[in-house]
Amino acid sequence: MSSPPPTSSAPVPPPAHSRAGHVRATVVFLVLMVLVSGFAYPFLVVGIAQVIDPYAANGSILHYGNNGTIAGSALVAQNTSAPYLFWERPSPTDYNTTLGAVTPYGPTDPALAALLNETIAYMKAYGDYTVNATLPFWLVSQSASSIDPDLTPEAVLVQIPRVSGNTSLSIPFLQNLVNQHITQPPVPDLGVPYVDVLQLDLALLPLIGR
Amino acid sequence: MDRPWGTTFDLSSLWDVIVLFAIVIAIAPFFGSYLGKVYSNRPAFGDTLLTPIENAVYRLLGTSPRRSMRAREYMWAVLLVNGVLLGFLYFWFTFQSSLPYDATGAPPMSWSLGFHSAASFTTNTDFTHFTNEAQMSMGSEMIAWQLALFVSPATGLAVAAAMIRGWIRKDGTLGNFYVDLTRSITRILLPLAIVGALLYVLMGVPETLTNFVTAHPITGGTQILYLGPVASFQSLSLLGTNGGGWYSANAASPLANPTALSNLWSIFLMMLIPFSTPFAFGQMIRKRGEAWPYFGTILIVVVVALTLFIAFQAASNPALATVPGLGVQTNGYPVGQEVRFSLPEGSMFQVVSVYGNVGANNMDIGALSPVAQIVLLFGMFTQSTPGGEGTGFGTLLLFAILAIFIAGLMVGRTPEYLGKKIGTAEVKYAALALLVHPAAILIPFGVAIVGGFANLPNAGIPANAHNFTSVLYEFTSESANNGSALSTAAFNDTTVFFNVAGAIVMLVGRFVPIWAMLQIGGLFSKQSEMPPGPGTLQTASVTFTIYLTLILIIISALFFLPVLALGPLAQITGGI
Repeated sequence: MSSPPPTSSAPVPPPAHSRAGHVRATVVFLVLMVLVSGFAYPFLVVGIAQVIDPYAANGSILHYGNNGTIAGSALVAQNTSAPYLFWERPSPTDYNTTLGAVTPYGPTDPALAALLNETIAYMKAYGDYTVNATLPFWLVSQSASSIDPDLTPEAVLVQIPRVSGNTSLSIPFLQNLVNQHITQPPVPDLGVPYVDVLQLDLALLPLIGR
Repeated sequence: MDRPWGTTFDLSSLWDVIVLFAIVIAIAPFFGSYLGKVYSNRPAFGDTLLTPIENAVYRLLGTSPRRSMRAREYMWAVLLVNGVLLGFLYFWFTFQSSLPYDATGAPPMSWSLGFHSAASFTTNTDFTHFTNEAQMSMGSEMIAWQLALFVSPATGLAVAAAMIRGWIRKDGTLGNFYVDLTRSITRILLPLAIVGALLYVLMGVPETLTNFVTAHPITGGTQILYLGPVASFQSLSLLGTNGGGWYSANAASPLANPTALSNLWSIFLMMLIPFSTPFAFGQMIRKRGEAWPYFGTILIVVVVALTLFIAFQAASNPALATVPGLGVQTNGYPVGQEVRFSLPEGSMFQVVSVYGNVGANNMDIGALSPVAQIVLLFGMFTQSTPGGEGTGFGTLLLFAILAIFIAGLMVGRTPEYLGKKIGTAEVKYAALALLVHPAAILIPFGVAIVGGFANLPNAGIPANAHNFTSVLYEFTSESANNGSALSTAAFNDTTVFFNVAGAIVMLVGRFVPIWAMLQIGGLFSKQSEMPPGPGTLQTASVTFTIYLTLILIIISALFFLPVLALGPLAQITGGI
């Protein structure tokens, strides 16, 4: 093809760098970058973070009991499936964080419906869910992270008859307790209202003398 | 309580999604213009502080902005830096138990897993075949992987800048790769990542050098809480369209993405650079109007994709209609979703992440509606709307070159774009780069299925179609350098075959298009500028925007429609 004439038919100028020059630039660049990205950057952010919000920076750790035992993180679900506690969302890893996130069945896989049936039967065997004919989906379905610590207010309120039946606390008292633990969106409809189940259970423990 | 699962499937939080789009649209022209100044060495914000630092770095590297490389030399520099990076990552991962910061006792990776991981992070893919918590030491994440989180997006931006210089230069050179890398980091990635990380901390993300804390749950036993410098990692990962997560659950992990606000901030970080790159192009070629067709194309495709995604995620899942005790709640697909994100917010994260080739996920892609899965696959088929850092826009320019060439053939005039003639050689490179993508997906996909490497069980049409989609998604994600996974329990991708094939697909999907982009830039850069004639296509126009969008959709759809029939389409028709 006839392309427009190049600006010059002069010989191609020498490369910008010799081979050794390229090797030097590459090696020096990557060594500098290891120092910046592997140390300077994270250390700087850790230093500032530990000052501006140490609670969040250290993992939102929650304590309980007289000794201040580490109960867990407000951001990580754990096994709370005792009859007298509010339950978290089901976890295929049993809340073992070392196993990471486990993938659910495909949306049209018959095994998914079977698993949901099984979970609902298990929940109903454990407590009185007759107040509602149906269970909130969030209470019986697995999350993306396998450690989702939150439930919708409805999915917590539906557990109140069971918790009340296994403790000496009245239903209105528990409703009040749950309502106090609902996190509302900072601005209406930016996110959804939810309850952090571990924080709720930690508030419940002293009330039932455990 | 007619919506027993709360307000999650209520579309009332659609407003914040729309506001976020508006913010990005408002910021992109200004930030893009800044990007353009950075890559054309024009006076820009931060010069007083950063220019002396950069000059010192250039002296250490033994280079200078005045030493400009031709396409071939630029390509070798790209391969050298990325090759050494790949070797370093491979070394670290396969020896991680003997290296610093291995408090959790992560075992060394096998050779094939180490190769896959190193290739994955070098190519901006960040597809993981391991469980971070058990198989990655903190040193592997903070020192080795985080190095790639900086270098791979910087490489992508540098390559895009070099390709764009083809339109403004006449001396055959494309700039200096080391200078472009350095400026990408000092001017863009490092400052923004620091701001992003600190905001994450204020939103609740951990940032500490403590590797883990052992907790004693209230019902007994122990639970290990993995911590570390999570905020700095996540911020950089999303900003650089890497998409790797500190945790295996990625941005679905409540530690990495604790609130609706942090979710929106993550979306902003993912959108900022890819949505601004068209304006960097406009700034560099000094024709700002030429940015809008690209920005318009990206916006049209993403908005349509997000609308489809939300609509089909909100529709009922017929497979769950038979579950008693759920009743009306079986609407939608809440399995594999997190409570704290509303449907529009969660969906926007996922669509932006996959369309921007970030590949992070805040939901389980394998549990989505089959149509939503097709929507995500389509984003990786185009890989340019907006696509990964730099290379996504480069791919969009390749589509534009093809579109202008086709338009030129239709009216019988010599096709040219912005004063540079589009000849046979340029079109060959563009077509090659675009054809490599389907080839790198469909060939290994066929080998994996026909050769029995995927080892899928025969479990009935719905499950089979789902497993099939999973394998297709794997190679699509790897070839597009995306990194999201549509996982399913039946498909084990941690075998030697999938490690090695995946690594090769990622390297081909990354460096062949980069080579073609640099070659085209080099060819343009050798041409003198032609004045626009009467037959010149008016590219800064609505007509060209629509034309480019249609060409992009048609080409991408033609490549991949047949294979969709085997996976997600079969799931829709056969799974009910």
